[in-house]
Amino acid sequence: MAYNFNSVTVLVVDDNIPMLQITKSLLLTFGVGNVLTAKDGEAAFELFQRYNPDLIITDWMMRPMDGITLAKKIRRDKTATNPYIPIILMTGFSEKHRIFEARDEGITEILVKPFKARDLYKRLFQIIEKPRQFVRSEDFVGPDRRRRESGEYQGPRRRQEDVEKMFPAGRMEMSHATKKDLENARKHLDEVRSKAGIKENEEITITDMDIEVDFVDAKEDSDEI
Amino acid sequence: MTQPDDKTSSSHYNQKPIRRAEFIKPPNILKSKVGSGGLSQNILSKAQDLLENNTVDFRPLGEMYLDQLQEGIDHSAVDLDLPEEKRQGEKLIRQMLYPSMQLKANGGMFHYELVTTIGDKLVQFLEVIERPDIEALEIVQAFHTTIRAVLLGKIQGSGGRYGLELIQALDDACYRYFMKYPDNIDPHKR
Repeated sequence: MAYNFNSVTVLVVDDNIPMLQITKSLLLTFGVGNVLTAKDGEAAFELFQRYNPDLIITDWMMRPMDGITLAKKIRRDKTATNPYIPIILMTGFSEKHRIFEARDEGITEILVKPFKARDLYKRLFQIIEKPRQFVRSEDFVGPDRRRRESGEYQGPRRRQEDVEKMFPAGRMEMSHATKKDLENARKHLDEVRSKAGIKENEEITITDMDIEVDFVDAKEDSDEI
Repeated sequence: MTQPDDKTSSSHYNQKPIRRAEFIKPPNILKSKVGSGGLSQNILSKAQDLLENNTVDFRPLGEMYLDQLQEGIDHSAVDLDLPEEKRQGEKLIRQMLYPSMQLKANGGMFHYELVTTIGDKLVQFLEVIERPDIEALEIVQAFHTTIRAVLLGKIQGSGGRYGLELIQALDDACYRYFMKYPDNIDPHKR
């Protein structure tokens, strides 16, 4: 089974005609059934109202109406046929403040030019498989700007209390490999402490690197598992 | 001390929230139309081939953006002769930024990767300067001349060692400028 874009309508907006044609051809290669094109935001809004496409891919800088203004109009205009339509913004800007500016006007995804076919596909995949809820407030209308559902720390855990949180007693048994890793880490720490003459509760500050430690190869040890 | 009198007010002290946000989960129309499974590697390769084998001549488009950039440089130079209070620095930076971004964005789409790399450096330079002084304009002019040389010489791709040397020279010019004028950096973009 694969995606079937045959019944999908996409509106592409760009004042650069070769770019417009290339984007259209890419979508047709992906199997998109109907690709509408417009040369600026105003013409695009008319097509959007008339044909109610499933997706808009628009350039940023156009006259008389640019891509951001188009997105703003679609999100806020009370007559808009579908204010929740996903909008992909194509732009040469990749600076953080520009991305935030676009995001704050209700853009769903940003596609930085020049791009590869896979980059366009990734944005489509994101919209199809990981759609975001919409937020409507006095000063913002658009996809939720928070991508992650949980604000929980995702990085490596180095402290005992973090490890305990990961493996609460009685809830989950620590895997044998993880136990081995922890044992190895303790061994290394003990070796460093003994060579440097540091007591167990003392904080280690590495300022002198003449301590040699023989690391136990975790892979060799795990062969016996 | 005033205590919150109900549960709603407790998260906003004793005040009622001013801004209300409504959360909406729109139907995923695209998903219902396309199904699942993604796109095959074969289709993605075909699409990439289409990009790589496009025969569009970028030079007329590139020349058009270069003309717009030159116009921005010329307007900025005239602006420098005006009294400080009448200058429109930020507007003129935007006038130069737009064609620079277009050169960066489109060069690589049409086989002129070196134009994209140089255009990117130019955008980075214009994004941080606070006002276009004479030396900043000289640097922008140098970028303009270099991109024009790349287009006239039909230097497609990265430009190899020659491309690297050009980029290095422009990079050095920008660094020298910021060493000399550390105050001409937009504080909002630092």
